[in-house]
Amino acid sequence: MKTPIRLQQIAWTLAACAFSAVAAAADAPPGKPLFTTRCGMCHQTNGMGVSILSRRPADASKGLLEARDDLSAEFVYVVARMGTGNMPRISRAEVSDEELREIALYISRGKP
Amino acid sequence: MKQVLPPGMTASQMDRALKAMARVVGDDWVLATDLDRDTYLDHFAVDEAAHAAAAAVAPLTAEQVAEVVKLANAHKLPLWPISRGKNFGYGGAAPRLKGSVVLDLSRMKKIEFDTENGTALLEPGVGFYDLYDYIQQNKLPYWVSTPGNSWGSVIGNALDRGVGYTTYGENTSKLCGMEVVLPTGELVRTGMGAMTGSPTWNLYKYGFGPAWDQMFVQSNYGVVTKAGMWLQPAPESMIGLDMELENVGDLEWSVDLISGFRRDGLLVQSPSIGSWLRGAAVLTSRKDWYDKPGALPDDVIAAIRKRFGIGWWSISLRFYGYEGVNEAAAAVVQAAFAKKSQQAFKVTRWKQGMPLEPTPFQGFPVTFPLANAAWHGGRGGHIGYSPVLPSNGRAAMDQFRRTYNRYQEYGMDYHGSFSMSERSITNVNQVLFNKDDAEMMKRVNGFFRALVSDATERRYGEYRTHIEYMDLVAGTYDFNNHALRRANEAVKDALDPNGILAPGKSGIWPKRYRNLRT
Repeated sequence: MKTPIRLQQIAWTLAACAFSAVAAAADAPPGKPLFTTRCGMCHQTNGMGVSILSRRPADASKGLLEARDDLSAEFVYVVARMGTGNMPRISRAEVSDEELREIALYISRGKP
Repeated sequence: MKQVLPPGMTASQMDRALKAMARVVGDDWVLATDLDRDTYLDHFAVDEAAHAAAAAVAPLTAEQVAEVVKLANAHKLPLWPISRGKNFGYGGAAPRLKGSVVLDLSRMKKIEFDTENGTALLEPGVGFYDLYDYIQQNKLPYWVSTPGNSWGSVIGNALDRGVGYTTYGENTSKLCGMEVVLPTGELVRTGMGAMTGSPTWNLYKYGFGPAWDQMFVQSNYGVVTKAGMWLQPAPESMIGLDMELENVGDLEWSVDLISGFRRDGLLVQSPSIGSWLRGAAVLTSRKDWYDKPGALPDDVIAAIRKRFGIGWWSISLRFYGYEGVNEAAAAVVQAAFAKKSQQAFKVTRWKQGMPLEPTPFQGFPVTFPLANAAWHGGRGGHIGYSPVLPSNGRAAMDQFRRTYNRYQEYGMDYHGSFSMSERSITNVNQVLFNKDDAEMMKRVNGFFRALVSDATERRYGEYRTHIEYMDLVAGTYDFNNHALRRANEAVKDALDPNGILAPGKSGIWPKRYRNLRT
């Protein structure tokens, strides 16, 4: 499903997101409550995503996204919209672009 | 996904229709980019493109839904309503008819709670997590009947006859009063709701004259924009009885015992007897145990079961309510099982004031059971196959044997459970597969059709199915040369003369698209 046209579209959307290191490093990111209500069912305790990611080879620490420091905002955005592995794609009606930007900044805050 | 169009519609006609709908819902809520279309594909499907949507429209109010439906009539545009689109294993958000526009109700999230009577009037976008959070935040003394995938909509689950695990687990039976946009765009309320301002809309199910709530369940006769749900009062106590059964043959006598307790009402909750893989598939992955194709050999199954302490079958019974009553009921069940098995139940006791167990047995929303999609590794998925059987051990064992043999024949791993209602058993199978295994994926369709054929031979029908197989399953309901299908479609044509609402849902096709039946 990954056509060049769609990747271009995503690149454009990401540019519009204007992710920045400054924003990503901000304290108390507003994306935390959004992450809980929009993503927490799978990516917090007892969630499907936690269970599956924890099973990835030899690294159970990958399960909780909020505890990771290796996820960029761009990656979070793309994975949420395009899905990956067993994760379904998330529509804009369910999580708007604005909400997803805030969530992506929150999850990427620990990335060096 | 490039835009796909419904039969007989041009791109310019679609564009005009979507522009008109944008004037109702706002430009931001007509979702029609290639990426948007991808987000409405069924990620579990064997062939995702077979049920691609042309676009989605996401209204916020019932009035907007009505306007969109009227425009769909004017433009002869097929709509596919979804609540939250999380009906995984049955099609997710994807439409039965390729090129339909998804009517996405996930933004409609109003909750009106009647604390005195324990009812919630919900819009379709309210998920189980939303309702659970609302109850917790407002400290309301009620529990939610949550399913194994609680990501989805409370109403959507009830409208597809999904189930939970408490005494209120038959969710569709807890619907009480609806607000519905008919295919013509007219807004109606059912039951007592037909009386303007009635305080009993969500308390008495039938109203005066015909009662229509079930007419809008698994159908394409209207868009439910609100529905009343009854909620279980938080009980004084709960007792849990759990047992891991060692032998395949233990299914028969355990089903017979539980059937009796369901019929006489001692056990009000609908328990489910699950095979070992139901537990194992959320804990481990196949490749950690076996790297060859074909169904798992018995010695590997034994090793996995031993590692995780899982029986061939697992039984979980729960008693809710007053402590003394629960203790008495649990004792009767324990005594009956003791006559059949040397094993003792693992007994758990909960009382008000203790922390809740984070499982659906106490109304806690979860998604972890969906982790079974990772059983094979790769991009996992499943389709549901769920015939309804008489509630007795002979029927359950016969069904298990035949189905198990089919799994072996097609080289698939058996994942079955027996969900026990008052008079019937739903034999829920999740056919787990790996979408990255092309050879396995070639087998899935034939396997599923063989399972349906076997069930039909016994005159067992499925209670629910994936969009790809709705015609197949509807076709098995064949009394008097498919008289019910003719009746369903007569109703469809009367209510939806332009055939715009969910064509093909549950095998019900409007006249306009009837030639598309497969």
